[in-house]
Amino acid sequence: MSGQPTGFETLYVQHFNEEARSLAYYLSKMDGYTALKKAFSMSSDAIIDEMKKSNLRGRGGAGFPTGMKWGFIPKQSTKTKYLVCNADESEPGTFKDRDIMRYTPHLLIEGMVIGGFTIGSSVGYIYIRGEYTREAKLLDAAIDEAYEKGYLGKNIMGSGFNFDLTVHRGAGAYICGEETGLLNSLEGKRGEPRVKPPFPAQSGAFGGPTIVNNVETLADVPFIINKGGEWFSKLGKLEKSGGTRLFSVSGHVNKPGVYELPSGGHTLRQIIYDVCGGVLGGKKLKAVIPGGSSAPVLTADEIDVVADIEPIMKIGSMLGSAAIMVIHEDQCMVKLIQRITKFYAHESCGQCTPCREGCQWMENIIERILHGEGKMEDLDLLMDITNNINGKTLCALGDAAAGPVASFVKKFRPEFEAYIRGEKHA
Amino acid sequence: MAKLLSEKFYGSMKKLEPRYPTKVALLLPALHAAQDELGWLSPETMEEIGEYIGIHPAQVKEVASFYTMYNLKPVGKYHLKICTNVACCLRGAYDVVEHCEKKLGIAVGQTTPDKKFTLHEEECLGACGTAPAMMLNNDYVENLDIRKMDEILEKLN
Amino acid sequence: MPKCTIDGREVEFSAGENLIEIARRVGVEIPYFCYHPGLTVVAQCRMCAVEVEKMPKLQTACSTPAAEGMIVHTKSERAIQNQKSIMEFLLVNHPLDCPICDKSGECDLQDNSFKFGDSKMRTSEERRTYLDLDMGPVIKKNMNRCIHCTRCIRFGAEVAGVREMVAIQRGNNTEITTIDGRPLETDYAGNYADICPTGSLTLKDFRFRKRAWMLKKTATVCEGCSKGCNMEIHQDNNVIQRCVPRANLEINKYWLCDEGRFNYHYTVDRNRISFPQVSGVKATWNDAMASSKTLLKGKKVVVLLGSDLTQEEAKLMMDFAPRAFPGSSLFHYGTPGIQSPAGDAAADSFLKRKSKTSNLNGLEKLGIKGFDSIPSGTDAVVILRGGRAVIPKIDGVSTMIGIGVFQEKEAKGMKAILPGASFAEKDGTIVNYEGREQKIRRAVTPPGQSKLLSETLMLWTHSTLSPALSKEGVA
Repeated sequence: MSGQPTGFETLYVQHFNEEARSLAYYLSKMDGYTALKKAFSMSSDAIIDEMKKSNLRGRGGAGFPTGMKWGFIPKQSTKTKYLVCNADESEPGTFKDRDIMRYTPHLLIEGMVIGGFTIGSSVGYIYIRGEYTREAKLLDAAIDEAYEKGYLGKNIMGSGFNFDLTVHRGAGAYICGEETGLLNSLEGKRGEPRVKPPFPAQSGAFGGPTIVNNVETLADVPFIINKGGEWFSKLGKLEKSGGTRLFSVSGHVNKPGVYELPSGGHTLRQIIYDVCGGVLGGKKLKAVIPGGSSAPVLTADEIDVVADIEPIMKIGSMLGSAAIMVIHEDQCMVKLIQRITKFYAHESCGQCTPCREGCQWMENIIERILHGEGKMEDLDLLMDITNNINGKTLCALGDAAAGPVASFVKKFRPEFEAYIRGEKHA
Repeated sequence: MAKLLSEKFYGSMKKLEPRYPTKVALLLPALHAAQDELGWLSPETMEEIGEYIGIHPAQVKEVASFYTMYNLKPVGKYHLKICTNVACCLRGAYDVVEHCEKKLGIAVGQTTPDKKFTLHEEECLGACGTAPAMMLNNDYVENLDIRKMDEILEKLN
Repeated sequence: MPKCTIDGREVEFSAGENLIEIARRVGVEIPYFCYHPGLTVVAQCRMCAVEVEKMPKLQTACSTPAAEGMIVHTKSERAIQNQKSIMEFLLVNHPLDCPICDKSGECDLQDNSFKFGDSKMRTSEERRTYLDLDMGPVIKKNMNRCIHCTRCIRFGAEVAGVREMVAIQRGNNTEITTIDGRPLETDYAGNYADICPTGSLTLKDFRFRKRAWMLKKTATVCEGCSKGCNMEIHQDNNVIQRCVPRANLEINKYWLCDEGRFNYHYTVDRNRISFPQVSGVKATWNDAMASSKTLLKGKKVVVLLGSDLTQEEAKLMMDFAPRAFPGSSLFHYGTPGIQSPAGDAAADSFLKRKSKTSNLNGLEKLGIKGFDSIPSGTDAVVILRGGRAVIPKIDGVSTMIGIGVFQEKEAKGMKAILPGASFAEKDGTIVNYEGREQKIRRAVTPPGQSKLLSETLMLWTHSTLSPALSKEGVA
């Protein structure tokens, strides 16, 4: 990739090409399945310890420490345990996991076997979004290869450990990126999030203790086992964030794409201007959505923030899945928030009242404003609705829908007012 | 009633069955496989799937209708699903959609009278770095623009 | 027992109890829509969210088990704001057709709106609408009124055992329905209307009949089978409008089958005989009584007692028969093929029993035996009936007298009918299949000139008029 900066250790991007996909490449060029062998010689506690040391935080969006999550599985439980990979990659703006599955599927498979071994699970599923048909086929092929060579199945590498892995395709529902929605979908149900507690670690897939991890999270595991948690942690530039991170950059930039950067190593400005070649057409930057479309929007003045979990949280947004969407001066922000809100209304599962009713209501109001039928009170009403959704819903989709609306109204209020005053019309 | 789904369908389900602790978990894979075979999911197809899995046809429909990839109505031979979510919309997806509407003479959600093309707006396909993107049946087409769209439509027509 | 504090009051609770139930015990009302004590908890409506100290977000009371020392505020500023907001969200799309809605007056949405909502409305958007397909004979659906609580879906799947009500589509377009206009399959469909917190699912049978607040309610027991489900009869102007289940966690929980729910129809059937008859012709009480006496005089009588009668009625007859009809024998009858409680069994995996009369067990306990065949030498049969017992085939006896509740077709061939009171028109005791004694209660007065059995027998004992002398009825 042309823009990928150098000068630091990367784990993925040098392998993001078609040849890397084969088992032969994986074994010869990426120390394939050596981490698994090493893991088999370690105790589960030792692996979790190493994971904790790595400061690996979930790459799906929530940023929860992976080692700690694995530790939640009740050891004494006699129920079948499950390890599920969240490959739904549904947060708009995110497309990094697709590259991992497309180019380095064995990394994910190896990571999953290690994860399964650690938590005592012999059954794994990769829940992949339905649209990724090609990636599902590639994963299937890699899994077949792994079975054939004894990296999956019974008595893996003579360890006595068994692990079965199945690719399960979603069918078009953003909400299945939410882990309990995903589990329902895996079980053949509507992908509606579940009431928590119980949390998946107690009762997840098919009622068994379950860990759900993102693709990148699991793909990081072999590196951590091979080179040590401390080494991984030091790849990151901030104390609490280890490793490198795959950033998905899209929108109005000259070089959109997936970039691998040290966690906490770059500001948004550096990513947009130095890594991605600046704003499309040399235009002025207007706004940045720093973590997938559910992240509150940042203005052009706010981009000197380090692109990592805590720094972005501090300024009222979130890093989420590290999906950065860049917006230049020509973009109408009212139209953009209408599109974002339409998405969340479309993807609301419909179970809980604030999300089902509120998301559509917000979309209708914004739509009305765009068509010249807005009133100034509508802006306060929108803010009220976001407050009434935020933190009141059954899952995080409500917050995901409310946060952007609140931030757009707050930060780009004059654009809304222009429509309401009739100075602009869609 | 004569079976609508092929031996191949039932064979693939049988192979998949040991992969899950419950039979209901086969529902999504079964719906995918049935749609691949028949193009869409008719009430009769869903009834047959329900019978195979051992669930009420209402349960099949409640699941099938939750997910946007399942076609509960027949679609054209070529199903164009153009992403208009943030990244694609920033990169001109709506121009491509409008162009398609004009060129095919149908609105989003419709099928051409010759049953060749169905046009849909799609939510994020996870191909934002190569926006605008669309799905043409089961495959991705990326870095779309009007010129590229024209080429595609020409080839298919 | 562990304790928690709700709105400043310390409350004891047992493990696993949720905050709604605990609060209810101390008179604190936490409003809700999707919660139902007989169904799984889904925490979807979010109406019951309360503030729990040390938890940053509001917690849904239905899904929050109490914990030792937990301090709960149900009326904190945030909780009240949430209630207002949920009401507002629910009314964004709810039609304001309360004036013509059957649920009005007993509607959770209406009541909670009144108690917890805001009087201002801020939505000006067009409301969401649906097209409703038919759902069979029991339930009328009006999806526009639905608030997506999914109680009906859960009732079907968890209680009735059939996943016929489902949610299709998703998000704001979610529709709760049977698919493709299929009729409901369950025999328990009426419960869908009971548990619906709005007028989305209403009983076709009750449609546009009465405003809910006009109804007078009588707690009684269903007589539809030997289960003894508890129910209420709702009447206005002495006319039964509907029956609904009454919670009894040990018998029927919150539910009632359709057979039991609609059983009352025979009591208001226009073919019900509510005036005395002689040879199929309306007569005065005096004529009918006198004819009956004459017909039975000196005959060898068999008395058949419907197992749909109460203990009190049966006992009365056990005392009366030997005196009125010396040498007579007494049997009970009710459901073809079931002669004793041993022949009774569950008819499905839920509530229904095979004995289609309510008091089979009771009559057995009184020592009455089940009817098999007419003893030889019998000249006359007196059939007592509460209204449900199936009259057995009686061969070779020409003299039959009916006392109780009969429809025209059931009275064919009877020499006289002395009309009586149905289960809804009398008080009494019945004993269910497991031996539980329960009271049925009079909700309405018997129609026409029908009399309670006690009155009929009293009249029998004391009337001395002969048919020839009587001109006027004695009713």
